[in-house]
Amino acid sequence: MPVPEKNEFFVDPGRCIGCQSCVQACTECDTHKGQSMIQLDFIDRSASTQTVPIVCMHCDSPTCAEVCPADAIKRTEDGIVQTARKPRCIACNNCVLACPFGVPKMNTGMNLMMKCDMCYDRTSIGLKPMCASVCPSQALAFGTREEMARLRPNAQPLNTFRFGNQLIRTKVNVMAPRTSSEDHVDVTAAMYEPAIGHDVLDDVFAEEQP
Amino acid sequence: MKQPTHAPGLPVPGLDVETIREFGPHRAYASELRVDTGSEPENHVKTHCCFCGQQCGLKLKVRDNTVVGVEPWYEFPFNRGMLCPKGVKRYLQQAHPDRLVSAYERADTSSGFRKLGYEEAVARVARAIERIQSEHGRDAFAVLSGASLTTEKTYLMGKFAHMCLRTANIDYNGRLCMVSAAAGNKKAFGIDRAANPWSDILGAEVVLVAGANVAECAPITTNYIWQAREQGAKVIVVDPRITPLARTCDLFLPVKPGRDTALFNGILHLMIENDWLDHDFIESSTVGFDKVAAEVKAWTPRRTAQVTGIAEKSIRQAAEWWGQAKTSFLMHARGIEHHSHGVQNVLSTINVVLASGRIGRKGCGYATITGQANGQGGREHGQKCDQLPGGRDLGNPEHRAYVAGVWGMSPDDLPQPGVDAYEIMRKAHSGEIKGLLSICFNPVVSLPDNNFVREALSRLDFFVAIDFFMSETARYADVVLPGSLQEEDEGTVTQVEGRIIRIQKAVTPPGDARADWKIIQDIAQALGRPQGFAFESARQIFDELRVASRGGVSDYSGVTYERIEENFGVFWPCPDQTPEGVPPPAPEGTVRLFEPGSWNPVAKGNGPFYFPDGRARFLVTPYQPPAEDIDADYPIILTTGRVVSHFLSGNQTRRIGPLVDHAPEPKCELHPRLANKLGIVEGDWVTVESRRGTCTIKATVVSTIRPDTVFVPYHWGGRKSANQLTISAQDPISKIPEYKVCAVRVRKAETAPKYASALEAQQ
Amino acid sequence: MGKGREEARLGGEQHQHSLAEARDVKAWRMRPEVFQAVARGAVVTALLGVSILVGSRSLAHFDAALVAYTFSILFATFGLTYRYSMWLSRPPTALYWRRGWQAFFKKGWRLRNALFWVRRIGEDVLANRFIIKRDRLRGLTHLLIMWGCILAVAITFPLVFGWLHFRPVPGDLSLYEAMVFGFPAFRFPHDSAVAFFLFHGLVWASFLVLGGVALAVRRRMRDEGAAAVQRFAEDFMPLLLLFAVSLTGLMLTASYTWMKGYGFTFIAILHAITVIATFLWLPFGKFFHIFQRPAQLGVGFYKDVGRSEALARCRRCGHEFTSQMHAEDLIEVERALGYRYEIPGSPAEHYQWICPPCRRASFALAQSLLWRGTRGGERLAEPAAIAMPVHVNSCLGEGPLGSEDQENFHP
Repeated sequence: MPVPEKNEFFVDPGRCIGCQSCVQACTECDTHKGQSMIQLDFIDRSASTQTVPIVCMHCDSPTCAEVCPADAIKRTEDGIVQTARKPRCIACNNCVLACPFGVPKMNTGMNLMMKCDMCYDRTSIGLKPMCASVCPSQALAFGTREEMARLRPNAQPLNTFRFGNQLIRTKVNVMAPRTSSEDHVDVTAAMYEPAIGHDVLDDVFAEEQP
Repeated sequence: MKQPTHAPGLPVPGLDVETIREFGPHRAYASELRVDTGSEPENHVKTHCCFCGQQCGLKLKVRDNTVVGVEPWYEFPFNRGMLCPKGVKRYLQQAHPDRLVSAYERADTSSGFRKLGYEEAVARVARAIERIQSEHGRDAFAVLSGASLTTEKTYLMGKFAHMCLRTANIDYNGRLCMVSAAAGNKKAFGIDRAANPWSDILGAEVVLVAGANVAECAPITTNYIWQAREQGAKVIVVDPRITPLARTCDLFLPVKPGRDTALFNGILHLMIENDWLDHDFIESSTVGFDKVAAEVKAWTPRRTAQVTGIAEKSIRQAAEWWGQAKTSFLMHARGIEHHSHGVQNVLSTINVVLASGRIGRKGCGYATITGQANGQGGREHGQKCDQLPGGRDLGNPEHRAYVAGVWGMSPDDLPQPGVDAYEIMRKAHSGEIKGLLSICFNPVVSLPDNNFVREALSRLDFFVAIDFFMSETARYADVVLPGSLQEEDEGTVTQVEGRIIRIQKAVTPPGDARADWKIIQDIAQALGRPQGFAFESARQIFDELRVASRGGVSDYSGVTYERIEENFGVFWPCPDQTPEGVPPPAPEGTVRLFEPGSWNPVAKGNGPFYFPDGRARFLVTPYQPPAEDIDADYPIILTTGRVVSHFLSGNQTRRIGPLVDHAPEPKCELHPRLANKLGIVEGDWVTVESRRGTCTIKATVVSTIRPDTVFVPYHWGGRKSANQLTISAQDPISKIPEYKVCAVRVRKAETAPKYASALEAQQ
Repeated sequence: MGKGREEARLGGEQHQHSLAEARDVKAWRMRPEVFQAVARGAVVTALLGVSILVGSRSLAHFDAALVAYTFSILFATFGLTYRYSMWLSRPPTALYWRRGWQAFFKKGWRLRNALFWVRRIGEDVLANRFIIKRDRLRGLTHLLIMWGCILAVAITFPLVFGWLHFRPVPGDLSLYEAMVFGFPAFRFPHDSAVAFFLFHGLVWASFLVLGGVALAVRRRMRDEGAAAVQRFAEDFMPLLLLFAVSLTGLMLTASYTWMKGYGFTFIAILHAITVIATFLWLPFGKFFHIFQRPAQLGVGFYKDVGRSEALARCRRCGHEFTSQMHAEDLIEVERALGYRYEIPGSPAEHYQWICPPCRRASFALAQSLLWRGTRGGERLAEPAAIAMPVHVNSCLGEGPLGSEDQENFHP
């Protein structure tokens, strides 16, 4: 049984609180127990508490698989880009460097690339992935489009991303405002943007400033 | 003063290397059964997280009497499978190498302790209690308990102190946690419980979060707040730090620590000025508004801004949003409560809620976020120094008579109200208290000015600690009895919303360890006072508690284990008898308090609030500065708090490897502007110094904190303990210590502290 | 739950969409590669045929009973060469192949590379160190199967090709003589331990393989993680084949040792069928990794050389993250594959110059830009230098999975 089509993954980094539940829960997954496939980064901790949780976006045309010299990365018919096939992966690192979202991890000791497979052990039997189950902010959410529309009436899912001249479509959605007219997320356009947050100084020293 | 005859065992704060080598904290990681993906768990036990007050539902995977992992419990309505990292990794505390599996006594060994047979240890404890009480009076033996215990245990601890030991001196660690909110709520509403279930957050137009680092200390609540925001709510956060929740909030009020009353007085001032008031509600359901209005008249935006350090425009914006909202939810936590005027702070927020009239309805709510697992249930049934079960008062003759009746004793034999936890330490220090039994409490880490606490503990004649790990406090004990982990016993707790839920037993205690309530009963037995301590199960204790709470404000009499399981918890008050004409509570209990037209045993139909007239109280909240303000010698404000990976004194979480890896050691957060002035850069060792102690830790330079304030998390013991610095000033009403403000100075340390090379990060 | 798993596995099997296969299909249209692959296949097969003729002294020592084996091996040789050639023609493989050899023969590196080659052959290929690191039991499983197969092949191929045969020493009937390529190699008494060991070589081999197969099947049956992703054709078929070959082989020995040859012919045919099926399966299924895997050695040299040369700096955070050679090669590969990651008008020029952590950060920043004005939070002042994103939990296992990962995400 493939992952039911009605269940989709929705990511909203704007909700993320950096708590690491996803990271910890990911290490509980049977396919890679003890190792987390989630990438959770501070964008610039000195300036902001902004964090970004990244799961595999499961591209329609996965760059990681295409640049793999060993045919080690397979995409199943339900759109899941699987982690590297153990007998084939030669740990060349192509996928790690080429993935537009920065997802795969390299386990050098094992000569093996490892990445998120959307908890195939759970999603293929109708359960939510571990990370999206536990995520206390639901920055990582898993459910149907209808559920999302009901829970987040002012948001809409997007699944097309621009990297320079390249457009990439993914199985995983990212949440954008409903009012937004964009039909894709321009990642490279935002590359040199500063982090988002509040400036404590604005308020603290307002009284001191004339 | 007791001489340290056992020199090697006397812990040198933070450097008792031998003791630490034997008892930890060591980091546990998943291994063997827990990483074997081939072995199916035998059992999925539906229970709750052992940590914070939200008590997320989860399923423990059990195999071979070992908790091997966690599976989300999607059906439990509060968290629907969501968990914070502590909840995910909590299972690693069980079958832990540091677990105490036998009793210990202090001895002249390298670790300072020697194993002792359980019966012998209990007998020794009983002899010591007997001796101290006969030589120095009953009150010379004190009891410290905790709010992470099940309600059954907290009830039994109160009963044990009041009926078996008949000492006035019992208090609990909720004294460091919930008491300001509790006192404020009792004063204003006559009842101490979150007024609304969390589902009411969703309908709110404005969510105001004051002094609560929700993302780290109550992570699951984040989803409720974000969910409200998805539906159009505006989120206002009051905090000296830009917490993860504050980062994208709609309005951030970076309050100067200790100035919360000023802020809320200022907001009320603007509400009155602009007539953003619910006159009908104020008229019909409250008393005391005029006095409060007169008090806040002086709190002009300008003055409020000057005192709080928040820009005037932000204060005006907050008042406008709050004042004009149709629905709202105000929640606060330790940030406004941990103050020498914590009750005032709480009352000032309640004034703002009452003036808006938005309480007791769907989408209109107010709550404090409880901190400990049973922060709510643990403060209701008699382990507070002035309390009897059912939220009754030890000083009230009627209440004494009722409970004494349930217990089968004369009310005259009940002691009078005793003193709070910190006062117990002061009395131990002065020699008035000679003996102490402590359970579920780690005051050496968690009480302020803990150098004083250490001294106090080492002056005791006899100290017995019940614990599952050798906590920093247990290291001062003469006898340590091996208690039970949450997953080794069953019972109930009452979570943040006032929902009573079931804790299920997943595994049996190892070795000589046993359920805490059995240990207490064994001590009563050994004292020759077994009457009232012959329970055979947690359920029996609960059934007695139901009777003891009947008719009180915290009425559990209608709650049964079955009813809890059938309804995913029952909200108290849930009486089993109601007067004629009053409908009994719904199967899930009283979900929302103060609903118009609701009946309660105090107002008896006069109104929704728990006073004879049924009206809520506006109480005047004059602003007072913190007990210790900054000056030329100590020019920086220190505020303390938590990080997401650790819980309270860290006795459990500092033993869970993956959580330690996230936050191995405390770091001093300071703003780049301050860091520049002090010549400190990221990663430097810095010495933070107050009038009470010093602490050398690493610095992290972040612009997410006020430049006049530094932050240090408090989960570590020994030389890393933030509470070496904090002040033991207490709120005059609630007796909560002022953890959130004291004056310090900070300088770059010349060298790394000695502990850095001797101890692992978490130790 | 178990049943659902099974369905998941089988259902997935039917629909499994293999990029490699899709590419191979596409490749039919690319005549030159196909032609080249067919030609290479033919040449290598022919060479093997010639060496069989020569090695068996013009079939003088060729065992006619083994002719089916010989032809299946010849077919497998063609298939393997064809598949290998096709594989090498893919842009990433072609580039890695070229770069791997360039790195190996790089001036000043050759001696070192040769030494490393020996070491890596020893550690990775012969001792399976990296598999042992994945899991000790899996390492043991693989070692048993691998060495069982190597032993079997080392014995049977020379026999089948007529390259090796034994004969009684003329004049001394108590001695056997091993003949290699028709030349006498060594002698041993026919009742010695050496003889027993040699003549039962295939028995030992099948014991090793059966042990390994048993461990592998056990893991696949009970491991939840494996159960989720395994496929019948990819994961069980090879085990089934190995099991069948070993079992029928052992039955042959049992038949002539203890059962006076009972059913020998039938078992022999059965054995031949299983062995031939395995050979024919070689180029297509999981067994192809035997031929792909050594590419790992080339990767090692490529990385070594890359590390010693110019490093690529992320054009967002300014930190080094991989070798410049690797970044440039990937740009070439991506272009060949039809990707257009060029960023006109940006100082980054091409997205490949952005390190993985900055890619993740950019993703989040892009999303928060969409929400600007709707959600709270301001665009903070631009910092003097863009900070390097760091893992919230940077310890091994949770952030990076190892030292190299740490380097990828900045040294």
